[in-house]
Amino acid sequence: MLMTGDIHVGTVFKSGKDTVIVQRMLGIKGGRNGQVKKLRVKNIVTGQTMDLGLDMGEKFEDVSLDIHAMKLSYIDGDTWVFMDQTSFEQYELSKDDLGDNVGYMTPEDDLEVEITFYEGKPVGVTLPINVVRTITYCEPGVKGDTSGKTFKPATLDTGIEISVPLFCDIGTKIILDTRDGTFVERAK
Amino acid sequence: MRDESLTIDILCKVIDNYGDIGVAYRLARALSDLDPVLRLRLVVDGLEAFAPLCPGIDPALAVQEIQGWTVIDWRRGPGPDWRGFEAAPPCRVVECFACNRPDWFEDALFDPARKDKRLVVNLEYLTAEDWADDFHLLESATRSAEVRKRFFMPGFTARTGGLILDKDFMDSRAVLGPEAPAESRCAGRAAILGQMGAAGAASQGSGATAAPARLEEAYWATVFSYERDYGHVVADLAAFQSGDLAAAGSSLLVLAAAGKSQPCFLAAWEAAGRPFPVLALPFVGQETWDRLLLASDFSIVRGEDSLSRAALSGRPFLWQAYPQDGRHQLVKVRAFLERLRPWLGPRDFGTVASATLALNDRDADAPGVRGEESILALLQATLRPDTPAAPTVAPPAAAQAGDRQSLASGFQAFAADLIDHGNLASTLLTFLCDFV
Repeated sequence: MLMTGDIHVGTVFKSGKDTVIVQRMLGIKGGRNGQVKKLRVKNIVTGQTMDLGLDMGEKFEDVSLDIHAMKLSYIDGDTWVFMDQTSFEQYELSKDDLGDNVGYMTPEDDLEVEITFYEGKPVGVTLPINVVRTITYCEPGVKGDTSGKTFKPATLDTGIEISVPLFCDIGTKIILDTRDGTFVERAK
Repeated sequence: MRDESLTIDILCKVIDNYGDIGVAYRLARALSDLDPVLRLRLVVDGLEAFAPLCPGIDPALAVQEIQGWTVIDWRRGPGPDWRGFEAAPPCRVVECFACNRPDWFEDALFDPARKDKRLVVNLEYLTAEDWADDFHLLESATRSAEVRKRFFMPGFTARTGGLILDKDFMDSRAVLGPEAPAESRCAGRAAILGQMGAAGAASQGSGATAAPARLEEAYWATVFSYERDYGHVVADLAAFQSGDLAAAGSSLLVLAAAGKSQPCFLAAWEAAGRPFPVLALPFVGQETWDRLLLASDFSIVRGEDSLSRAALSGRPFLWQAYPQDGRHQLVKVRAFLERLRPWLGPRDFGTVASATLALNDRDADAPGVRGEESILALLQATLRPDTPAAPTVAPPAAAQAGDRQSLASGFQAFAADLIDHGNLASTLLTFLCDFV
């Protein structure tokens, strides 16, 4: 059984009769008894997407999946091409299939990821929980504010925008949590 | 009222004494008011906390019938001899605050032999944050195609489910609220004092000025909050009494609610030399507590249920939120202030906001926590009347309220808007009934 806390971007689970994959984390909020989440999910059979909520405590059936370790080889428009590190076969996933994960990786990373296959077809990717990215734009850092409690928007080298503490600056390397896109800490 | 009786299961886990169960109890009463034929089952984890609120509850019983409801002990379950699910298996379920379900209930709800459609509603806690609008009625995943689940968000906007407007509260509001005639309010206050055994000279403390002949004519301030050093609050209340109230020929009566804040408040009051009369309240039931809040000129409240009652009362109040890691309570407090902002003039809003933020700017609650709060300006503002020609009750349309409208009128208009959003219990009942 999968618990609510196990579900993040890239997770495949059964919601009712539908087998869905989480594409985007639209919001995580503190509910009264734990986190509540709003997800963008895609039905991996019909291709239909929908927004879905999740609260703590629900249980979901496991889905039988094949998982292969791969690396992102290159990006061709909206198509992301991954290479199996054992067979050297290439597999394509669309930008939509990858959801939020497109913001956490580039071909230059040499990052090993897990590609999820459902009935022989690649449907999504699971990244390491933490990845390192570089800030390419943000307002100048505030020296002395190391509390990490006040945030500002920052653009990363992948083009996505996230919230980072005030002490961050352009060029700062940061560690991100790929499950929800939050800042973890400054990379050493 | 419908022809056929519907059964609704309300599930509640008691996390913080009376907060969670208080909302569940109010909801149950409101649903029964709306439809007396409705069958309610309350599955409660913590009957000990429910008993003081709901007269007649026996925490020793696994299943009991109270006020026409079936009340079941979450932990023990109804037992093998109970046949309630045979007659009415769970089909409309309200989970208060995502409390989830006990195993014996889960088995009946997700029984694979059942083919009927079932609906579970996660009634979340009250928040003024924008996500309440976003999550209201959002479909939530479950593992069964036959069991659908939705979020149901209480809130302060028309895009949420609103607040519970139970009949008892609204009836009391008509007698004691800001629109009630002065005689009615005075009689209502006298009744409350009589109930508390506090009529006449029963209240404690001296007061720097002569107390009014009748306590029901005093300025009532209610304090129901968390543990902290109430030195600043007591000093401001004392200054308010000896200054503004004395000049107006009035006096102060503080009602210190039972609970965490009472010993801390009384300690600060003692240390200050008992500068005004205080009535240390015993634990009171929900209906009496509602009347106390409605009868008060000003309140400091904590907790979801009291926040909602204070907001609906139409009286000025301060809200102290439960402290969270990283002072996250300030996010919730600021969100609430933004809901209030359109109804107050800029000067009054600044007064309320600074007092509220100072009261809430802390890492934890403890008797020694001394904040930087100052409530004197706010107390003074509660006495200021509308400037002539200013709107009073009518909510400002698009524009912000101007400073000609008094603070009291602003809170009154805020409450009127919340009431206009409708009764959460009614909206929820319609939602549950219409589900197919």
